[in-house]
Amino acid sequence: MTTLAVSPLLSESVGDFTKPSIEYFDLSPLLIIIGVALAGVIVEAFVPRRLRYVVQTLVAVVGTIAALVMTVFVALGLEPRGDNAGFGAIAAEGAIAVDGPTVFLWGTILVLTLISVFLFAERHLEGGVTAFAGQAAALPGTEAEREASTKGLEHTEVFPLMMFAVAGMLLFPASNDLITMFVALEILSLPLYLLCGLARRRRLLSQEAALKYFMLGAFSSGFFLYGIALVYGYAGSMNLGDIAEAVSGTIGADPLLLGGIGLLAVGLLFKVGAAPFHAWTPDVYQGAPTAVTAFMAACTKVAAFGALLRLFYVGFGAARWDWTPMIWVVAILTMATGCVLALTQSDIKRMLAYSSIAHAGFILTGFVGLNAVATPGTAELTSLQAVLFYLVTYGFMTIGAFAVVTVVRDSSGEATHLSRWSGLGKESPFVAGVFAFFLLGMAGIPLTSGFTGKWAVFTSAWQGGAWPLVVVAALLSAVAAFFYIRVIVLMYFSDPVGEGPTVVMPSVLTTIVIAVGFAATVALGVVPGPVLDLAAHAGQFVR
Amino acid sequence: MTAVQVVFVLLSLVAVVSALLVVTTPHLVHSALWLVVTLGAIAGVFLVLAAEFVAWVQVLIYVGAVVVLLLFALMLTRAPTGPQPDLTVRRWAPAAFVALLVAVLLGATLVAGFQDVRLDLDQAVVGSAEVTGETVFRRWVLPFEVLSVLLLAALVGAIVLSRLRSEDGDD
Repeated sequence: MTTLAVSPLLSESVGDFTKPSIEYFDLSPLLIIIGVALAGVIVEAFVPRRLRYVVQTLVAVVGTIAALVMTVFVALGLEPRGDNAGFGAIAAEGAIAVDGPTVFLWGTILVLTLISVFLFAERHLEGGVTAFAGQAAALPGTEAEREASTKGLEHTEVFPLMMFAVAGMLLFPASNDLITMFVALEILSLPLYLLCGLARRRRLLSQEAALKYFMLGAFSSGFFLYGIALVYGYAGSMNLGDIAEAVSGTIGADPLLLGGIGLLAVGLLFKVGAAPFHAWTPDVYQGAPTAVTAFMAACTKVAAFGALLRLFYVGFGAARWDWTPMIWVVAILTMATGCVLALTQSDIKRMLAYSSIAHAGFILTGFVGLNAVATPGTAELTSLQAVLFYLVTYGFMTIGAFAVVTVVRDSSGEATHLSRWSGLGKESPFVAGVFAFFLLGMAGIPLTSGFTGKWAVFTSAWQGGAWPLVVVAALLSAVAAFFYIRVIVLMYFSDPVGEGPTVVMPSVLTTIVIAVGFAATVALGVVPGPVLDLAAHAGQFVR
Repeated sequence: MTAVQVVFVLLSLVAVVSALLVVTTPHLVHSALWLVVTLGAIAGVFLVLAAEFVAWVQVLIYVGAVVVLLLFALMLTRAPTGPQPDLTVRRWAPAAFVALLVAVLLGATLVAGFQDVRLDLDQAVVGSAEVTGETVFRRWVLPFEVLSVLLLAALVGAIVLSRLRSEDGDD
């Protein structure tokens, strides 16, 4: 009569399973963005083609704004945790840390995403279609491609793909263990590889860029994975908090840990475009559609630096004497490579790519300054706050500058060769002026956000004792100023070659992007206080 | 040496030898078939290590799906099925060196990280479906769920890059 009874072992084990606790409120920005991406896929399947563009744009914009609003609510609800001036909580069974820096980075990424969506949606510049390939599967130069362009086809899938990437970017700096970090890295990378290959003009260049980015990115992911394996072998856990405990309990150098730190650093430094892992940056920035370049240059860098900060400050904080020399070398190499090679570029997008490499070097300077404690009430900043602030200033300048690049055109599309830019000041003083301002911002001239950003990272690094690095960085900023100013001279004091450049009037979307980038660069340069305060209030990472 | 150890060593030998054959055989199809042997032997190794769930996943996904996909790709792309002497390229030596380096690296990790770990084969729970399931759906539930997003993104991308629209273009 007992044959019907379930075996005791089985019933016990089934009863044992407790539901994982997911803090839906804390994760809501991330979940909303994933939801928007899924909604985008559904729109692609069911909405008639002529409506797709409008619906996709609306879904992306509304979703991003909703996620931004939720980020504010999450930020207001953070509670103090631990004894290290941190706010926040560990959510989703330890996979995610929703703390001050996370929320700050989420806000930054989402605002930059919002204006990037406008750039993606720009249709005026290509005569009524977006800047993405009409039909990516049609080979360049074939009948099918011509047919696609005469029919005015466009790929609206770029919006869900972008949202997938944003989801990865939100998860990346928030991840509290190495597996989540790796998953986030892949989610943010894969859609970007795809988006890079979808340019409407110069498709071979674009496809080459996508392939290069994919191959090198997969390679660097491999490094990252091996790093995870080594660190797991060392610490016996994937969790950043446990790794930190294992690291602080170690006396002397452990080859496993050092190897793991090195390999993880390779994976992350690749994503931020630091030398000697920068080789992909110029090719990919040049080949990708300019809207994608802007999005990638700004948002990927913010997300990857967030992850770098969390991994090294939280996980490997106690081993800082082992990894700071390495980062010193990388920072100097990165700044030098970016500044010196930018001098030799003849393509505006490549020049901006090298400039972004140089900026990665400046951010690394702040990162390695390791000024952990700031005196409250003074102008002193911790390294974390300085880097967070720099990322905001950098993001807006970069998107603004690339947005200007999209409107300077000739008959074959964007006029990216530098010689085409000569005399732009006469053709369109307004556009040339705005671009000159962005360049001055990147060079770090006072009264622009570039200056306050540089000031923030340099002072925090100086106070942290990294003064030789700051001296090198300041010298290289002077070198960098040269190539920015060279472009300004070119625009204003040279005569146009041939027909000269033309500025195509964009729709209101790109205008908004340029205006927002310009306004942020001015505002953060003149009154940096509020955002600096916000960065200061973000507090420390929790674990 | 216990019987388990003997089985383990034999399976590992099969895996290593067939893996070498995968990269040295001049036939593409043979290469794919040797891969089946390698992956099967590794599945056996997992079984011996009491990781039953991982072993069956290995059989289902790798031996079953991946290799079949590979063979289909060979069939559909009109890849040459005869022997091809030029499959071994000039750069095989550096490649072998990198492979060796990776093997040493992973081996060192395993030895350094797990040399003191001993499996009690009588009541091993390390790799059972129950333990795997509980870990994946509790501790790792977020990364696990988010991975499906990655697959979806890859799917969308693959369709975008490969699908030509129909002639009338009204889909």
